[in-house]
Amino acid sequence: MAQVQAQRPEFDALEVGQEVFEAAKVIKREDVKAYADASGDQNPLHQDDDFARSVGFPGIIAHGMFSMAHLTKALKDWVRNPAALRSITVQFRAVVYMDETLVAKGRIASKNEATKEVTLDVWEEIERDGQIVQPIKNSRAVVSLA
Amino acid sequence: MPLNQTLKGKTYQELTFEVERDRATQFSLAVGEDDPRFLEAGAAQAEGFPEQLAFPTFPTVLGILVSAQAVTDQELGLDYSRVVHGEQEYEWKRPIVVGDVLKATPRIGDIYSKGPNEFLVIEAEMTDADGEVVCISRGTLLSRGTAEGA
Repeated sequence: MAQVQAQRPEFDALEVGQEVFEAAKVIKREDVKAYADASGDQNPLHQDDDFARSVGFPGIIAHGMFSMAHLTKALKDWVRNPAALRSITVQFRAVVYMDETLVAKGRIASKNEATKEVTLDVWEEIERDGQIVQPIKNSRAVVSLA
Repeated sequence: MPLNQTLKGKTYQELTFEVERDRATQFSLAVGEDDPRFLEAGAAQAEGFPEQLAFPTFPTVLGILVSAQAVTDQELGLDYSRVVHGEQEYEWKRPIVVGDVLKATPRIGDIYSKGPNEFLVIEAEMTDADGEVVCISRGTLLSRGTAEGA
């Protein structure tokens, strides 16, 4: 589970290049089903192993938006204040299978002294067959620490 | 077959969507949110928010309705079996709360090709009852192997 930071991050204390959050989540079939029901995305690719195999996957995959939600939660848990969230832009680059451990990470990319906005590089990693796969990469988030 | 490029800028029917408490709570629980501000009104109000907060990616629920109109548009010619979700952006102006009545007019922001694939950008600006923009969603669908000459 992600740790909610005890204190809100302070603009002046952040350094470009600093990794500021890391949150791991094991992707479970029942959670993906719950997400399908909550979001309304009932694509069988996320629920039916036979269907997933028929289109070339070894089994069902998680919704990209489920992975994005985990990343957004990690970002929100770091910044603490939900009103500080300005934007998040993600690229989906790899699928996520059941029981894999998805790790959301964020690093300070730049700071705007005038607006007190901070841009982060954000991404997600999975270790699969001894290699690091990034289901979300080349992605950005902006928070306001005014 | 390539997508119909002349539909860039096309707008679809306006949608209205009320953020209901049960749905917002269901969504929060489904994404593993245990922050009480996203699960009950009291914790959010204690910090000055008017109501229970919806999880930041809750607009996905509306987004599925937003993209449905374009995806099923016969003029556009999208083969959904070739589609994967390539990119997603949310820009937030304020937190979404329970009781918000959001309106959105889906629009085709762009259609372009890169190599063998085509990209369809569907945008929606979500406004509240006062007409203020709450959230902007930009989703990019990737249509595999449908570009001209692919």
